[in-house]
Amino acid sequence: MSEKRRAEIPERLEREGGLTPGAARRVARATGVPEAEVYGVGSFFHLLADHEHPVRVCTGLSCRLAGADGVLATARAAGLPVTECTCLAACDEAPAVLKERSVLPSVRPEDVERAAGDWQRLTASTLPQDGPWRGTVGPPRTDPDQLVFDLLGPQDLSGSAYEKALGLDLAEMLELLETSGLQGRGGAGFPAHIKWRTVSEQEETERYVVLNADEGEPGTFKDRELLLRRPDLVIEGLAIAAATVGARDVFLYLRGEFADPWQSLERHLAEAEERDLFSGIQFHLHAGQGAYICGEESALLEALEGRRGMPRLRPPFPAQVGLWGKPTLVHNVETIACLPAIVHRGGTWFRELGRDEAGTSLYCISGHVKEPGVYELPLGVTLDELVEAAGGYVGTLLAFSPGGASSGFLPASERTRPLSFGALAKAGSMLGSSGVVVLNDTVDLAWAVREQLRFFEEESCGQCAPCRIGTRYLRESVDHHRHGTAAEPLGKVADAAWQMNEGSICGLGQAAALPLTSALKHFPEAFGLEPTSDGDAP
Amino acid sequence: MSERNLITLNGQDVEFTAGETVLEVAARHGLEIPTLCHDPRLDPAGACRTCLVEIEGWRRMPPSCATKAMPGMVVSTESERIARHRETLLSLYLTDHTQDRTEAESYGPDQLFEMADRYGAEQDWGAMETVRAARPGDRNPYVHFHPESCIVCARCVRYCEEVEGVSAITLAGRGSKTTIATVDELSLLDTTCEMCGGCIDVCPTGAMAEKMPITRTARPERELEKVRSTCNYCGVGCQVDLNVDTAANDGAGRVVKVTSPPAGTTTNDGNLCVKGRFAYDFVEHPERIQVPLVRGADGELRAASWDEALERAAAGLLGVKERHGADSLGFISSSRCTMEENYLMQKLSRGVFGTNNIHQCAAT
Ligand SMILES: Cc1cc2nc3c(=O)[nH]c(=O)nc-3n(C[C@H](O)[C@H](O)[C@H](O)COP(=O)(O)O)c2cc1C
Ligand code: SF4
Repeated sequence: MSEKRRAEIPERLEREGGLTPGAARRVARATGVPEAEVYGVGSFFHLLADHEHPVRVCTGLSCRLAGADGVLATARAAGLPVTECTCLAACDEAPAVLKERSVLPSVRPEDVERAAGDWQRLTASTLPQDGPWRGTVGPPRTDPDQLVFDLLGPQDLSGSAYEKALGLDLAEMLELLETSGLQGRGGAGFPAHIKWRTVSEQEETERYVVLNADEGEPGTFKDRELLLRRPDLVIEGLAIAAATVGARDVFLYLRGEFADPWQSLERHLAEAEERDLFSGIQFHLHAGQGAYICGEESALLEALEGRRGMPRLRPPFPAQVGLWGKPTLVHNVETIACLPAIVHRGGTWFRELGRDEAGTSLYCISGHVKEPGVYELPLGVTLDELVEAAGGYVGTLLAFSPGGASSGFLPASERTRPLSFGALAKAGSMLGSSGVVVLNDTVDLAWAVREQLRFFEEESCGQCAPCRIGTRYLRESVDHHRHGTAAEPLGKVADAAWQMNEGSICGLGQAAALPLTSALKHFPEAFGLEPTSDGDAP
Repeated sequence: MSERNLITLNGQDVEFTAGETVLEVAARHGLEIPTLCHDPRLDPAGACRTCLVEIEGWRRMPPSCATKAMPGMVVSTESERIARHRETLLSLYLTDHTQDRTEAESYGPDQLFEMADRYGAEQDWGAMETVRAARPGDRNPYVHFHPESCIVCARCVRYCEEVEGVSAITLAGRGSKTTIATVDELSLLDTTCEMCGGCIDVCPTGAMAEKMPITRTARPERELEKVRSTCNYCGVGCQVDLNVDTAANDGAGRVVKVTSPPAGTTTNDGNLCVKGRFAYDFVEHPERIQVPLVRGADGELRAASWDEALERAAAGLLGVKERHGADSLGFISSSRCTMEENYLMQKLSRGVFGTNNIHQCAAT
């Protein structure tokens, strides 16, 4: 059995219509992988395992705030084959509904009623007639010279940044990156130049570049807009990365719900090939099959290899031992899309765009603001500045998540803190993937916490006990608290949260308790508790 | 100049050989680190998280089973942080585990309860209902899966793949619903499973259990007497432990289960096949022949002593040789015999009776 045959498992199961009876056996025969293993892979991914519900309503926080429950109830009443799902990376167009592999934006109960019980006819009235829908982006394009991504600008099909990068040797390129101060935008904010250097220094010369476009952190949808509007930056950035670290094969892993961004990339790749922009570099598109955890880079590599998306133990890191054991440079879409501008305009230009950290950032903002969307602003703006760009608050600010569900909740008093990696880490939170969710004072925070905990419970890979058990334990504890179904329901949550942070293998489990612990710390009254003198969780 | 392979282990400099894990080095020095998903025959998974240790300069506690010793490493296997880790982890495990220890132990030994006792983990964190799917319709006669006891360490799955090369079972689903499954939830009989029962042997909590003792409500394994024996189904000579319920059969005792000695202690390295592990019921069979039988003048079989029976057989064989010559005899030995027994058989054939007509049923 060749390893490449194994990599075909998810796609073959998709073509079987999911994990239908007999499908695993047929795919096992075609790939030479034992049938139980194929079944184990299929059962891991929601889009494959649940093949009976072509319609899925997002019940993430932003979507529920925008009426997802009503849409779901209407769909159920109409007899549609519908189920719930976790975040679809469309919090700006909430509530979002997945129809097969396409996301419908801002779906209203009336839209569901119009389908008259036929799921194939389900559509959103906001959907444009021509081409895919796009979200709101801003701010207005007054000074393109101050923009890295320039989402409203024209595409660049010249390949000139790549040409220029080919003229730099490895040391020059690494120095450029270091000067730029570019940090990974997938969540960790890790300095890019260190990763590039590590990959370049490996003895093994077969190396890969992987694009992480699995965008799944609740509240985050910037990669979607980048792929739809500026695939040119992404592909050219990947080519620059590949040429620098000596990779010939580039793997693009898009979440399975990204049918439109996929087409955008495909179109652009065909165009690039026609113009022979990046000869010698092979681009391979791979679709995820419904698993938030596959955004974690080592789980992503497992999924690319056709395995269950369970994160690997580190060390070794993917830059040392990655895809099929080879050194692999994994980057988020936004990180990669910074490269053409950095090459063109220089590291210092990029660094100076930011406030306390380098560059601009694509901030996603949703929840209680007037114009949810993606806003390119200097890294380190405050919440107030971001919300101003997004048209202002709706109602009175109560709390916000600065970087996706994993960043927990911060109180309104933090509205002037820079939204940057370092400044948010100091507040016990994180910038993560800059998915900002704003909650006003109509929100029951204990409910919001519960929703975030449920997300992690649904999306835990299940490999390690602290996360597999802890995510459920915390959610059940909050449920017991809210419904008064247990004595001292929150008595052990601090210990459980400590255990999850210390004992979990990957970032999911390590951060999953944060929505609860941060809320207990900043909003004890939401749980009927007295604030403690040091402001710590009881 | 090569660096000496030394690490500091709980304050003491100790040597290691290249490639050794921290867990292995600690074990050689008599330090106990708890493990649940570890098995020396398998690639380390690092998934159960019980074996985390502290290493100076590492922000996170790594699993000692999967961390190779490196020169200069400063390792602690005991600290306040590690103690809190073990306690809270085990308490958390127990919320997702059957609360009924007696029931759990009717399936097999349960190391989770034992470990919780040993490390002083509180057992009052509350309990959650099991959401792992079982395989209720599985009609196989030997292997029972009890999801309430399962801690999803995947030892069974990894053993099936890495040692047996069978891959009949898999981790399936994800999150709290992650369970052990077969393809399409079929009965093990309809999969590639060879019924070696290794999954039962490697399970630390009795979630993979043997059906026969359960249906007979035998006593917990720790109350059984283990009698070391050699499996007599083939010539390999696997060591088995007959688990005897000494009170059964009015005190005469009864073999209620066969287990394999721990990996690394006997030649079979903890492994057995379907016959060695499960085919022990013949011991109690009413028609089992327990003494030699010879046929009397009346044509009926009657009990005899070994001396009498062997004499009778020798006389018969010699008679045939005298009347018809040595090559009218043929000797066939059983594949259940050991190599030494087969050697003696051919010696009997060639040396004593003078014929080369010797065969063994496993020869092709
Ligand atoms: C639970 C979890 C989910 C993640 N999801 C994503 C994701 O959807 N997209 C992404 O780019 N990075 C995600 N990451 C971060 C990746 O592991 C990795 O750090 C990143 O892709 C590296 O690229 P960067 O250096 O450009 O940020 C996730 C991490 C964790 C722990
Ligand atoms: S922390 Fe959660 S998601 Fe990460 S490996 Fe463990 S179980 Fe899987």
